[in-house]
Formats: sequence, structure tokens, C-alpha cells
Amino acid sequence: MIFEKRTERIIVPMFFMVALFAPLFLESNSFFVGKVTTIIILSIFVMSLDFLVGRVGLITLGHALFYGMGGYLFVILSPEYEAVNFWVYTLYICSISALIALVTGAMILRTKGVYFLMITLALSQMMFYYFFDSLEYGGGDGMFIFVRPETSIFGLSFLDLDDPQHFYYLALFSLFNTLVFFKVVLRSRFGRVVEAAKQNPDRTEALGYNIFAFRLTCYVIGSALGAYAGFLFALQFGFVNPSFFTWEMSGMALVMSILGGSGTIYGAILGTFTYEGLQYFFEHLTKEWLLFMGSAIILMVILLRKGIAGYLEKLLEK
Amino acid sequence: MINDIVLETEALSKHWGGIKAVDEVSLQFRDRLLHGVVGPNGAGKSTLLNMLCGTLKPTSGCVFHKGQRIDALKPWKFVQRGIGRSFQKTNIYPEMTCLENCAISAQRRFGGNFNLFVSRHSNKLVRKAAEQALAQVGLEDRTHAIAAEISYGEQRQLEIAMVLAIDPCILLLDEPMAGMGHDESLRIIELLKELKKTYCIVLVEHDMDAIFELSDQLTVLDNGRHLITSSVDEVRADPRVKDAYLGAEDEEEQTA
Repeated sequence: MIFEKRTERIIVPMFFMVALFAPLFLESNSFFVGKVTTIIILSIFVMSLDFLVGRVGLITLGHALFYGMGGYLFVILSPEYEAVNFWVYTLYICSISALIALVTGAMILRTKGVYFLMITLALSQMMFYYFFDSLEYGGGDGMFIFVRPETSIFGLSFLDLDDPQHFYYLALFSLFNTLVFFKVVLRSRFGRVVEAAKQNPDRTEALGYNIFAFRLTCYVIGSALGAYAGFLFALQFGFVNPSFFTWEMSGMALVMSILGGSGTIYGAILGTFTYEGLQYFFEHLTKEWLLFMGSAIILMVILLRKGIAGYLEKLLEK
Repeated sequence: MINDIVLETEALSKHWGGIKAVDEVSLQFRDRLLHGVVGPNGAGKSTLLNMLCGTLKPTSGCVFHKGQRIDALKPWKFVQRGIGRSFQKTNIYPEMTCLENCAISAQRRFGGNFNLFVSRHSNKLVRKAAEQALAQVGLEDRTHAIAAEISYGEQRQLEIAMVLAIDPCILLLDEPMAGMGHDESLRIIELLKELKKTYCIVLVEHDMDAIFELSDQLTVLDNGRHLITSSVDEVRADPRVKDAYLGAEDEEEQTA
């Protein structure tokens, strides 16, 4: 069983059951289907960040680099007025992002702690300004995606990405796969070393592990999935722009993962939904919603030391 | 051949600025013998040990393992060559079970460390090796206890079990009896007597009775310099050693 905690075994099926059937009661093109799709895509991004920050111990402020990469790579690689295959491009985008992560990671993973934080931040800011000033990629306005990819596998097509409901299910399916994937990886023998290296890096090295190689592998995995989330986001809204790369994006994802329960993986879903839910609520309440939002987050972080998932575990784990 | 030289240092030095923590120390460590290393505080024992296991790079001089120079290698390469170390300050994975602690050290040599998809519990060999290491130090009944929750003495035993689980040929033990009670120390002494039949052991220890009892060969360091390496009896009789170390301690006891 990859879900070792009781809380996971309750929360995860509950969430996916509700998410699976909720759109059936809503109109296909209703606002909420789109909104929840966005939150689900963000959850994938936050989950990949939580893996890096909470499980591997790589506290990065530049995860948005890959979020942006996912979107921009699609626009750069695909022909402008022709539908390409979604699965093939997913493979392209994830592999290229993984390669970027491999090269940058090999350099920046030699730094630790706050230096790593600064360098990841610098890298993502570099890309932000590169695309912001680039003429061929639309500068600050970004670029439009005119045709969404088609999703046929061996000639069989059962998903139409122009249909919001279909897109919703694609996002949900991706989120589920991401969750299971991370759980499997963390349960493996590879995951055991990663866990050990986070708890006690010196000892792990003294036991004969090249922890740099393990961290780099994790960085590549997390980055590729972060890029996948960016790719989905770009497809949903049909555009990319440099705001994908901003450090606010990285910072917000970090807040979401901490809110949900750092290192719990499934907590990323809880954190993202709570954050977005609160934001939606306060936005419609008042113009000064950021004030309330900030206060609410400070309160939650103080009261729920280990995030929402940590609180639920305290209630359910006995 | 029995009692071959497996580990050797040649004019090994470590300088911290102007301080010579270890100064031109040349030693030979033979298989299936226990080498005690003693010396007053600050004599450079731990620094020496850290260089033998690769965590510290020497300022000058060399370390040889079975005739091959290894001092420039990364620390994990030392382990892959069968040089394992324990730590003076208990250095375990406090949130994991004792079995998991040993499994981490055992699984390296069975491969599959980069296999992302197979469950960590699926390999029977890893589990067996981990259980065996726990049994060797007498922690069988603590297999599923969380490492932070067992007694201090047991944590010290776990520390040794973790080194054994990597299946080393050379054990570098940094004060395995530090802070232990009398009975617990006796247990470790018995264990080490058993272990030295199969391993080359380098033991740094403050417990003089223990080290006199265990050592086949005893090295005394003083202020980073190598004073003498000889049998226990010869070391005890040597006047220089008395001056540097034992004498000082006697005076302390008299004034105390």
C-alpha cells in the first residue's frame, strides 16, 4: 500500500471521488469547472515543489522557472496553426525540462541552504527577464496558443481539450498520477536514501551514498513535473506570458505547500485548494482582500504547525 | 594472508591555519587486529579518523588502502571500498526504526538504489542484512523501535550496527563507549573482541581500561604528533607516554 497513513487513505479517495463526480452536476462550461481545473493544475505544481522542499530538502524559490518553461516550450516548439499530439508534446516538454534541470541542477546543487535559495531565485528571474525582453516570444505580453493539441493515442481520441469538462478530467487524471508517482518513488529504495539524506546528510554520506546524485535525480523529477503543470496551465488559458516565471509564483506555491503540510505530498492538494478558496472568498468580499488573505495565512501557519494535513493526521491517526 | 596491512598512512598531516592538528603521522593498520588510538584531548585522534574515512582531506601526506592511494577520493568511495566509520556523537536517523536505520546502510551494496519504482520493503536480502547487523550488536528486540526512543546505550549499539550493515572490512570507531554506563561498556567490549577476529578495527577511545584490554597495537598521539605505536605493555611502560598523557591524568586524580 503506497498510502501508509490512515489520513491519506481517507482524504485521498474522498477528494478524488468528489472531484470525479462534481462536474456532472455542473454545466460543462460553467465558471467553476474552469476554476477548479486551474486549482488542480496548480496542485500538480505545488506537489512537485513539496516533493523537492518537504521531502528532499531543497528549498527553492525558483520552481516557477519550470512552470514557465512548460508553457513557453510548447509555444516555441509547436507549429502555430496546427494541432499537435498532446502526449508527444508532453514527452518533449518533460524531457527538455528534465534536461534543463539536469544541467542547472548539476551546477546549483553544489550550494546549500540560503545560497541554493538565492541561486534558484536568480535563475528564474533570469528567464523572466529574458522572455520579458525577447521580441520573438512576445515580450511582456507573451504569446497566444491558437490551437489546442489533440489527444489521440494510436488513432483513438476520447478527449477534446477544447471542452472544459474534458480538460478538467485530464487535469484530475494528471494530478492523481503525479500523487501516485511521488508516493511510489518515495516508497522505493531510492526514496529511502532520499529520506535518509534529508534527515541526516552527513551520516548518509558516511554510509557510502553520493547524496548529490540522489538530490540531482529528485531535482530533475520535480522540475519535469513542474513543467508539466505549466504546460497544462498554458493550454487551459491559451497563452503564455513572463508572469509564469515570477518569483511570486514560486513563493505562492511555497506558501500553499506549507499551508497544506510540508512534506506530506497529498497536503499540496489541500493547501492549494484552501489558498485558492480563501482568495476567492476574500476577493469577492472586499477590495482589500490581500490584507485578509495575509492575516488568514499567518493565523493558519501559527495554529496549524504542520499544515492542514498535519492537523488532520493529529485527528485521525491513532 | 592474515594480518596484512590493509590501511596505511604516510606522513599524514592536517593543519588548521597555524595549528597542526595531525602532523606527519605514519601508521599501518593490519587486518584482524584492533588498533587503539589514544591521546589527550586535542591530540588529533578524531582528525586522524576523519582523514582515514575521507570526510577530511589531508593538508599533505597520503592514505593507502591495500596499496592504493585513496586520500583524494570522495567520502562515499571509502565506504564502497569497505571502510566504515561510527561517530563520537550518536549519528543515527532518529525518526526511523532501528531496522530502517540499518536497512539504509545495508541496501547500498545490493544495488537498485536508483530504482524508483520497486518498494523499499521488497528486497529480502536488505532486510536480512539489516536484521543480522542488529543481532550482531544485540538489538534484536529493538528491531521496530523508533531510534530516538531507545536508550542512549542502545543508540550507541545501533551506531555500530549501522557500520556493520555496510559490510565493511575496516571499522573506524570513534569513541563507541562515550557516555556509556559500566555494564553497557562491558557489552561493547565483548562485541569488539568478537569483531576483531574478522575485521581490521581502528578504535579511538577515552576509556583506558577498555582500550588496554582490547588493543593488539596501541598508538599514542600527542599534540598531533605520533608518539609511539607498540603493544599495550610497551606503551604503558614508556616514559614519554606517561609524561604526555597518563602522568597528567594521575596528577589530576591526586589533586581531585
